[in-house]
Amino acid sequence: MNHQAVVEKLIELVTPFAEGRPVAITESTGITSELGLDSLKVMDLVVAVEDEFDISVPINALAEVRTVGDFAALIQKSTGDNA
Amino acid sequence: MKENPRLKAVRAVRAELAAVGIDPFGVQIDQIVSPTEGIIDGRPTILAGTNNYLGMTFDADCIASAREALESSGTGTTGSRMANGSYASHRELELDLARFYGKRDAIVFSTGYQANLGMISALVGPGDTVMIDADSHASIYDGCTLAGATTIRFRHNDADDLAKRMRRLGDEAANALIIVEGVYSMLGDRAPLREFVRVKKEFGATLLVDEAHSMGVLGEKGQGLAEVDGVLDEVDYVVGTFSKSLGNTGGFCVGDSADMDVLRYASRPYVFTASLAPATIAATRTALRKLEAATDLRQRLQANAERLHAGLAALGFRLGAAPNAVVAVLVGEKLEALKFWDHLLKSGVYVNLMVPPATPGNESLLRCSVSAAHTFEQIDAICAAFGSWNGVKA
Repeated sequence: MNHQAVVEKLIELVTPFAEGRPVAITESTGITSELGLDSLKVMDLVVAVEDEFDISVPINALAEVRTVGDFAALIQKSTGDNA
Repeated sequence: MKENPRLKAVRAVRAELAAVGIDPFGVQIDQIVSPTEGIIDGRPTILAGTNNYLGMTFDADCIASAREALESSGTGTTGSRMANGSYASHRELELDLARFYGKRDAIVFSTGYQANLGMISALVGPGDTVMIDADSHASIYDGCTLAGATTIRFRHNDADDLAKRMRRLGDEAANALIIVEGVYSMLGDRAPLREFVRVKKEFGATLLVDEAHSMGVLGEKGQGLAEVDGVLDEVDYVVGTFSKSLGNTGGFCVGDSADMDVLRYASRPYVFTASLAPATIAATRTALRKLEAATDLRQRLQANAERLHAGLAALGFRLGAAPNAVVAVLVGEKLEALKFWDHLLKSGVYVNLMVPPATPGNESLLRCSVSAAHTFEQIDAICAAFGSWNGVKA
C-alpha cells in the first residue's frame, strides 16, 4: 500500500477519535496537538490500526509520531512497505 | 520563578481537585492503630486500601525480628550492595526466596517497582522485543522504557492476541520476553496463565510473571497464581514484592536460569540503589516463613473477600472481577468517583480512588484491598459505608 493510501485509511480510522474537533484531517494534522487525543485514545487508535493493517506497533516507536503522516510512515515501516 | 511547562497537565489536575476541595492523592494517616485501622482527620478509619493482604505489618514475630536486627546491625546499609558489600542477611533472604519457590536462585531489590525495572532492563535491550499485557503495571512499562527494547502490547489477558503478535515476529519470537501479572492490581482479575505458558512454549520464548498481588494470597503455599495453575516450572522468572502480603518494603525475582548468576551485575536499578535496611530484611525473612504456613490466613482472606464481594454486589454495585483480595467497584465518571471516595472516607472507610489513565476501560474505580486481618464486622462496615452513598451506583 503506498503512502497516500495508508494516509487515507489512517484518516478514516482517526476520524471517530477526533469527534467534535472542527479540524479537517490531513497528513500534517497533529494527532494529539490538533485532534486532542489523550494517551488512552491514542492507545485505542493504535489497536484499531494494528487490526486494520495486521501489524504490531511498538509503543516505543510512537514517541516519534506527531502527525498523521508520521504515523502512516510508521505503519509502512511495520508492514515492510515503504513504497 | 518560571513554571516548568512539562508539569502543566499535573498542575491542571491539582487545580481541578482543589476546586472540588477533595484530595484523594494526599491522604495522611495520622496514626496507624493496627493493620486495618488508622486515624485520618481525627476519625477512626477502616483501612481497606493498603494491600496488607495477610495483615503482616503488626505481626509480633516480624516486629521482634526487625527490632533485633535494628539493635544488632544498625539502621541502614548506607549504600548499594555492589559498592558497600552485602550483609549476610541479604543473601540469606535470597536463598529463602529461592527455596520458597523451588527455583535455583533469587535477587532482592530495594522495591517491587525496582524489581521490574531491574529485571526487564537486564534481560532485554535495544533490538530485543518485549510483549506486555496492555493492563500492565507502570513498573513494567517503565522497565521496558529503561531497557530501550521494542515494546509491543497485547490485549489484556488475551493469549490468542499474544500468539498472533508472536507470529508476526517470525524467527525473533524465540528471543522475545513475555510479561504478564498473576493478579492485576486495578480490577483484581487473574491472568489465564496456562494459556500464556502454552504460547511461550509454542514459540520458545521467555516468560516473566509478576505475582505482586498474588504472592501469599493464592495457592496452598502462597506462591501465587503459578502455583494454583500448576505452571511454576514453566515460568522463567517470578517477580514479586515484600510490600504487600509480607508487610514490608522491597522486591525480588526468582528463576532457574543460569543467567541468574550474572543478571544483578547488569541491572542498574540493583547496582545503583542503596540496599534494604537490616530490620527490613529480618522482618521480611520472618514474614516469608509465616506466609508459607499461613493457610489459615489465606482462608480468612478469601472468606473476607467473598463477604465484601457479596455485600457490594447485593447493593447493586458493578464489580471488577470474581471475589479476590482486590475488590474494585466500577464507578464510571471521575467526579462522581471522587465524591463517592470522599463520602467513604468521611464515613470512616479508606479505599483507593483510581482514575484513568491508570485504570482499564477509561473507568474510575473505588478499589478495596481486603486483609486477612479484617473482621467480618469491619467488612460489613465497609459495605454499609458504600450502601450509604446516595449518588449514582453506575
